[in-house]
Amino acid sequence: MIRPIKAIVKRNLIKLVRDKIRLFSTLFMAGMFLFIFSFVTKSMVSGIAHPMNYLISGIIIMTVFQTALNNSMNILEDIANGFMKEILVAPIKRWQIAIGHVLSSAIVSVVQGLIIVVIGLFMGLSIDLLHGIMMISLMCLVGLTFSSLGLLLASIAKDSTNFQLIITIVSFPLTFLSGAYIPTMAIPKILIPIVYLNPLTYTTSAFRFITLHLEYMSPAELVKSGLAFNINGFIITPLMSAFLVIAMGLTFFTFCVNRFNKADFSRVKIFKHGHR
Amino acid sequence: MYIETRELRKTYKGREVVKGISVRVDRGSVVGLLGPNGAGKSTTINTLCTIHDKTFGELRINGKDVSSQKDKVRNDIGIVFQESTLDGKLTIEENLKLHCDFYNVPKPEVKNRIDFVLELVDIMSWKKAPVDSLSGGMKRRVEIARGLVHFPKVLFLDEPTTGLDPQTRANVWDYIHELQKQKQITIFLTTHYMEEAEICNKVAIIDHGKIVAHDTPYNLKKKYTSTTMKIKTSNQDNLLEYLKERSLKYNQNNEHVTVYAPDVEKVLGIISTFKESIEDIEINKGTLNDVFIAITGKEIRV
Repeated sequence: MIRPIKAIVKRNLIKLVRDKIRLFSTLFMAGMFLFIFSFVTKSMVSGIAHPMNYLISGIIIMTVFQTALNNSMNILEDIANGFMKEILVAPIKRWQIAIGHVLSSAIVSVVQGLIIVVIGLFMGLSIDLLHGIMMISLMCLVGLTFSSLGLLLASIAKDSTNFQLIITIVSFPLTFLSGAYIPTMAIPKILIPIVYLNPLTYTTSAFRFITLHLEYMSPAELVKSGLAFNINGFIITPLMSAFLVIAMGLTFFTFCVNRFNKADFSRVKIFKHGHR
Repeated sequence: MYIETRELRKTYKGREVVKGISVRVDRGSVVGLLGPNGAGKSTTINTLCTIHDKTFGELRINGKDVSSQKDKVRNDIGIVFQESTLDGKLTIEENLKLHCDFYNVPKPEVKNRIDFVLELVDIMSWKKAPVDSLSGGMKRRVEIARGLVHFPKVLFLDEPTTGLDPQTRANVWDYIHELQKQKQITIFLTTHYMEEAEICNKVAIIDHGKIVAHDTPYNLKKKYTSTTMKIKTSNQDNLLEYLKERSLKYNQNNEHVTVYAPDVEKVLGIISTFKESIEDIEINKGTLNDVFIAITGKEIRV
């Protein structure tokens, strides 16, 4: 039962390592974000303790999110290349395929996040063992959640080229309205409802809370730092945010496996043929 | 009976593509589904090998129901698709290993089996090469090897030689025969090449989603075609007289007479009667293409 899942994970990881350009470009993008945003938005977070850590933690979690989402959509490439057919006619269950894909893209996204963590350490990020474990757990959770979302979206897709474009169009504003790169306090009032509806907002605040060791802060102070949210008097604490992420993860994962079980991949438009 | 379909129907994108197909295939035989493009060959084979669900009818492979025992059926069959389904970024060996993991081939056997099938299709020395670096013919061979590595009882081949040059095509057929001899497996293939259908033990001719004939190539030709003899003789008048007496079909021109003889007896009769005066003779047996024309009234559209 585990063997096909392991095989899919291994294969996806081999593919990524072998794809030098993709490997380099994802790392390059993450590094670039780290440098550009930490310098550009520094002034916006001047009122906050540890401004550098504040930004780096946002960038780490966004990297995990982006990588997870993008990687799990590699399945569209498998469909286009025909390899998906080989998997679909094998005597394995659809849920095994789904888990294999979700796991591999979650692993990749966490590894990528850890690379940013390492770079961050040189830029003044400080972590102790307990917080490190908590950070990694949350990163795994976020990786799994958004890999599931990516796979869910991919299995709804009918046309892979347009689909990738739609994902970019959707994920870009969500990223910027989550507080990760630009603190929520600096976002115009009119866009705040979107910030509150954005699942990434809670992902970021929970992660930031752990990374910055802010257990000592009162709810009011957290709200001021953009880590807790006061929605009409109801305060969403970072802990609640973390539970929201878990709930989202379970939901996305259930939907994803469910949808994957039923998806008819022969209907996806294939734009490239094999050897003919 | 190894593969058995009864009244198989399949509606695809709102159109009935397969309109009631009943075929029975014996264990260890090679069966070819012959028909023009768009006749329903691929849909039939895809339904047989669990890609599509049937719309109606009964489908059994090795006694197992294809709809309700999908995974068991999948373990019994190997499939080589019309288009490449290899992972181009992986090596030949990695592709095959992955396949072994999916089909739960016992781990200690994996290496030997991979070597065995690669030897069979004569591609052993490329084991470590990425699939993307191979030619079309070689990819086909890898694909056949992969379809066999879990030792299936039935191998489905959808247009196994389309797009290959004649030399490679001949090789692919050698492999298929080698395999049938060594492993006694049942082979079900689709093709629109007449020459390929000739090699099958049985041929089912499909047109517009229906089987219009199903028999050995020999019997089909015997039933639906005649032997064509082009005879040049100094004694043409007598020959024509002879043909009319026996009401044999013929065409004549100044040079020669073309006779359509339904069986070998008639052929020999003409030759022994006119052997003194025959100057030149050309004898052609009917082909499956003639069978196809005789049954459907048109040529196979390639």
